Amino acid sequence: MTMLSSVADRLYWMSRYLERAEDTARLVAAYNHLIMDIPRGSEPPWDIMIRILDAEQAFEERYRTVSEQNVIKLLIADSHAPCSIPFAIKSARENVRTTRDVLPEDAWELVNELHLYVAESAKSSVGRRNRQTFLAEIIARCQMINGLLLSTLSRDHTYRFIKLGRLLECADMGTRVVDVGAGDILDRAGSRAAIDPLLWGALLQALSATSAYRREVGPIVEQDDVVNFVFAQANFPRSVKFCIAGIREELTPLRNNENALRAINRLRRRLGRLGKEALTREELHAFIDEFQLQLNALHQSISDTWFRTDGS
Amino acid sequence: MTKGWKGYKAGGFYDELITDKGSPRTAARQALRLLQSLPEQEMDSRRQSADLAIREMGISFTVYTEGGNIDRAWPFDIIPRIITGREWAQVSRGLQQRSRALNCFIDDVYNQQRILADGIVPADIVLDSPNFKAPCMGMSPRYGAWAHICGSDLVRDQRGRFFVLEDNLRVPSGVSYMVENREITKRVLPELFENYSILPVDDYPLKLYETLAQLSPRQRRRPTVVVLTPGIYNSAYFEHAFLAQGMGAELVEGTDLFVDSDDCVYMRTVDGPARVDVVYRRIDEEFMDPEAFRADSVLGVPGLMRAWKQGNVAIANAPGAGVADDKVIYAYVPDMIRYYLGEKPLVNSVPTYLCMREKDRDYVLANLPKLVVKPANESGGYGIMVGPHSSKATHREFARLIEKDPRNYIAQPTLSLSTAPTYVDGQIEPRHLDLRPFILQGRDCWVTPGGLTRVAMKKGSLVVNSSQGGGSKDTWIVEGKA
Repeated sequence: MTMLSSVADRLYWMSRYLERAEDTARLVAAYNHLIMDIPRGSEPPWDIMIRILDAEQAFEERYRTVSEQNVIKLLIADSHAPCSIPFAIKSARENVRTTRDVLPEDAWELVNELHLYVAESAKSSVGRRNRQTFLAEIIARCQMINGLLLSTLSRDHTYRFIKLGRLLECADMGTRVVDVGAGDILDRAGSRAAIDPLLWGALLQALSATSAYRREVGPIVEQDDVVNFVFAQANFPRSVKFCIAGIREELTPLRNNENALRAINRLRRRLGRLGKEALTREELHAFIDEFQLQLNALHQSISDTWFRTDGS
Repeated sequence: MTKGWKGYKAGGFYDELITDKGSPRTAARQALRLLQSLPEQEMDSRRQSADLAIREMGISFTVYTEGGNIDRAWPFDIIPRIITGREWAQVSRGLQQRSRALNCFIDDVYNQQRILADGIVPADIVLDSPNFKAPCMGMSPRYGAWAHICGSDLVRDQRGRFFVLEDNLRVPSGVSYMVENREITKRVLPELFENYSILPVDDYPLKLYETLAQLSPRQRRRPTVVVLTPGIYNSAYFEHAFLAQGMGAELVEGTDLFVDSDDCVYMRTVDGPARVDVVYRRIDEEFMDPEAFRADSVLGVPGLMRAWKQGNVAIANAPGAGVADDKVIYAYVPDMIRYYLGEKPLVNSVPTYLCMREKDRDYVLANLPKLVVKPANESGGYGIMVGPHSSKATHREFARLIEKDPRNYIAQPTLSLSTAPTYVDGQIEPRHLDLRPFILQGRDCWVTPGGLTRVAMKKGSLVVNSSQGGGSKDTWIVEGKA
């Protein structure tokens, strides 16, 4: 099957936005659980989510004080803020609207319903009472859409670019959560060591990695194990390593893939060096920083090669 | 029973479902029995499910306003319009005949121009029309087919006779709504289907693909067909996507295509350039190719016309087909049928006064309050004056317009459009409607069973265009005795 470059572009972004909506919902949900479990005053600041999502600027433009209300409002109810769930879903919907012809018929209906649900419920879900239900619904509906695509799409270019978008976003989010989350925990320098496992646990939960971690590593959650699991576990489908492997698999059969493959191989080498020795906070941060830059380079290479084919 | 069924009166118009005496027409009997048996709340809940289905299916159209573009949900009335198969067969034959004659005419105009030489149609009204495209001279597309997709608007008079009101040969739209309307009725009133055998409408995209594939310049088992859309902000974008999906074709915008130095059309794909065989254009020819037509068009594909003239790509509808889509030319269609086919027209045209003819103009100016005046070259119901519903000031304004530019105006007697029971504000009331069937012309000619019924939702109004508050109904062609 042929695939228009412009359509590939939109499918990739549809998929990234859907993944982003789901991941953001997980992140907020995990944080919500966390704050109910730990003593007041020991919880990580609310703006940790803002930092994870790189949304400092959007936040400062709108609010002066970091409060639960403001942070949640921005992330789940502000359809104009690019870091918000409604924005991601709106953007996913726009991209589906322009690629309906290559997607299963139900895809449009599901995404459209999700969009309507968010438009109707977001504002009333800022308060704690409805918040979790709202987030759970977002996650469930995103998974339903992913399930539909996974079980009905032919394994052709449509599927390929959707998968690329999803995996890249997932890897991106995983590295962000570890970077900021681990940074926060380590900054406390063991001052409240008793709650550290809760914090690491929340981090795993934000990445839906809790039960997989337990089976693979065990019930004890510690820094090195968690970082290693999130980055380098080969079988867990949300680990960075798994995402990178999946991206490589989809890039291989594409034409003109030399640059993108080079970028992905750099990422693989970098991952391979992880876990050889324990990292300090600074080393971890530097590692993730570099990794993020290379992920970006990979995105740029995919975009240049297959989406902007202006030179005929 | 919902209010309005008892004592329902169409008030002198032909009603599609209920006779003057108030009894159901034969084909509608079963459906009416069921609809009338529904309690008021039930009727309303069915309407609500229809609204919900429309929202969930994302069936929308775009309305252009000063404040920006609004994506509106498709307005739909749940009571279907029912036409017997026997009656339809006749209309369908008439439409095929019309389509053949119109295509003969277009092909003639761009080649020998026999009909002009023989004085059947005055040469100047064709050659001076903005719809006549000189660059198309000498072209002869396969099967002599230019207007591959035609949407003709039909209305019924007091006696229930069908009349063709106009033929849309440029980029007629609405067919996706015809298909979706059926889908909605199936969802919200499934019981209605139990006692009927209704001709299906969902095979339209397949028929369209077959027609388009026949036009391919390369003989291939599966020619590459693309749907060329002006983009997401076009009011019919929903339909463009719908048809592309239904045909398994690529939905492209101008920037997705380019014409290479070999004068072939290619689309930009992730595997590199891929040759295109047939372009189903849903973009006005004016904007289709900045090299050939409007240079300021950013929607088009430079060189598309060149590729078409070289025979390297088929375009549907062919550029130039709009020459027969003109309300002045319309008046000559019965003559065309006699001239090219030697046949008697099987479906009526509305008597048309051409303001360019002195005698006609005098009559029109003297009878403005009785007539409908239309600009020759507009669509979407814009610029129309419905005499009986207009003020004296409007009559005077149109008199001025006509005298200034007589070629651009035609007039027709005010037709008493038929009505059908329609669910409005919790009541059943008669509303006027028309019908747009779609005619496909390739090697063969095919007509949709039924078409898109548009309803004027305002009481007494005759304007059915969705851009002006019109709604629509599912249209059934039913076979056998119901």
